[in-house]
Amino acid sequence: MRKKKTPGQIVSELLKLIIALLLTIVCLYPFWHVIMYSFSDSKEAMSGGLFVLPKGFSLESWKMLLKTKQVFIAFGNSIAKTVVGTLISVVISILTAYPLSLPYVKGRKFLQGMIFFTMLFSGGTIPTYILLKDLHMLDTFWAYVIPSAMNVYNMFILRNFFQAIPDSLSESAMLDGANHVQILTRIVLPLSKAALATQVMFYGVNRWNSYMDGVLYVNDSKLQLLQVYLRQIINSIGGKQGIGASAGDLSGASAITEESIKMTVIAMSVIPVLIVYLSLQKYFVKGTMVGSVKG
Amino acid sequence: MAKVWKYLRRHWMLYAMLIPGLAYIIIFKYIPMYGLSIAFKDYEGIGDIANAQWVGWENFTKLFSKAAFIRSFKNTVIISFAKILFGFPAPIILALFIDSLRKKGLKKLVQTSVILPNFISWVVIYGLMYAILGPSSGVISEILTFFGFEGKIPDLLSSKEYFREVIVGSYIWKSAGIGTIVYLAALTGIDPQLYEAAAIDGAGPWRKTWHISLAGLRTTIIVMLIFRVGEMMHAGFDHIYAISNNAVISVADIIDTYIYRVGLEQGNFSLATAAGFIQSIIGLVMVLITNYVAKKVDPDSGIM
Repeated sequence: MRKKKTPGQIVSELLKLIIALLLTIVCLYPFWHVIMYSFSDSKEAMSGGLFVLPKGFSLESWKMLLKTKQVFIAFGNSIAKTVVGTLISVVISILTAYPLSLPYVKGRKFLQGMIFFTMLFSGGTIPTYILLKDLHMLDTFWAYVIPSAMNVYNMFILRNFFQAIPDSLSESAMLDGANHVQILTRIVLPLSKAALATQVMFYGVNRWNSYMDGVLYVNDSKLQLLQVYLRQIINSIGGKQGIGASAGDLSGASAITEESIKMTVIAMSVIPVLIVYLSLQKYFVKGTMVGSVKG
Repeated sequence: MAKVWKYLRRHWMLYAMLIPGLAYIIIFKYIPMYGLSIAFKDYEGIGDIANAQWVGWENFTKLFSKAAFIRSFKNTVIISFAKILFGFPAPIILALFIDSLRKKGLKKLVQTSVILPNFISWVVIYGLMYAILGPSSGVISEILTFFGFEGKIPDLLSSKEYFREVIVGSYIWKSAGIGTIVYLAALTGIDPQLYEAAAIDGAGPWRKTWHISLAGLRTTIIVMLIFRVGEMMHAGFDHIYAISNNAVISVADIIDTYIYRVGLEQGNFSLATAAGFIQSIIGLVMVLITNYVAKKVDPDSGIM
């Protein structure tokens, strides 16, 4: 038998429910808004306000957008950066985290200290820029991938996860004559699926969203990132630092407003993220290890 | 010697695995630290750093005589401080709230929703803010009008008065959700018996939150705070660069955007590096101080 709830408890639960729903709406509505706006008729959408459903359904702005070449170039660059970059990052993080998770590896303390220190102190923007210039990496695709190849924080999270795996498994494999690479690929990694999914997500999201490298290291429009392109379009109204190609070029003389184009571009960049996030989110909370990143 | 040889023969693969990571750390983290030396040199971006003329503290005195740098320094401190003051407790409160939800479905819905904004880039968030907060067609102005507030709706996105509020608000919207993960994980580690014992002793939900949940989160909170304070001098290039425009530059220009402008747009490498050097040093000192204080308060806490 359940205990009967006091009026106080009912009120507090109701209050919690309201707060919970408000939080959900505050976080989700903006996405809904732009997606619905992008499917709205340009003229009817101008009135603004809430978009529960599209106002006068229309695919015109999507058609217009999909005719623009630079959108695809930028989209492709961001995808390439995300996929290649995430792959490299996850591999390097695994390779670094695994040896550092084993207590008998000599020099481990020193190496960890050396890696940890880079979290506390860094050379900063300009020296990194000069380094990339000397390496002839500016204005190349590699500028997106290599300078941020490993995130030290993520690596330590992975190391903590590896450390938590019982030693007995790898020890018995060792006795059977397995080498370290075999132990890593056949025992440790299959046990770390949740942690690896989290790593992929951490790195992937960061790669997809960060655009400072696109601003600092790359000028070539063939290598332009989606976020940099979006920034041009979104900021192009009201004289806000309209740079080069802007929404004006997109909307042309047609009946589609700049507003609609903007919303459509935003919707286009948001939809893939929503899909990936919703399909991977079950791993997310599970895979994140608690605790400090003690050096 | 034979022992070392035997050890290496057995474990060489582990050291081979470390090569890419260590090479990355040395090349892309430690070499730029050497590159900081141009803060004390006269370097125009041409030729070898090593050959540039030493000028001592000249770049720093020049830097502190520039009003634009002082302004960016002040803005960085103000924005970071506001972000920590309001943004740091936000995920803790949110995590405690999510943890207090008993219905599984609701819990999951809230958790999934609040994490989502973290996956969106600042550029897109600015676009969303424009759609929601914009003065002419934004949703907020519509809602306010509905409730009878006519006219007086400020253009939040291009007014100096509200810029900092907009920065902090959007920061919380984006990052509070993802921040809860660490705390929620720590909360699941708290022994449920503690709550039961407290309930028997007559503790209400608030007392339980204070004495058990928050006490259990203490170590995590301290570690997170130390890292957060270490980033104090980085007020967020991606964030500010996406949201700011010329109308608000006097309150929006931070050290990172200053470095970008002076260093890469104007080619003044040494001056910009001096600014970066100040940024890094202050960051390091802040971490060491917070860590020291944390250790004084609680010897088990801290990151080092």
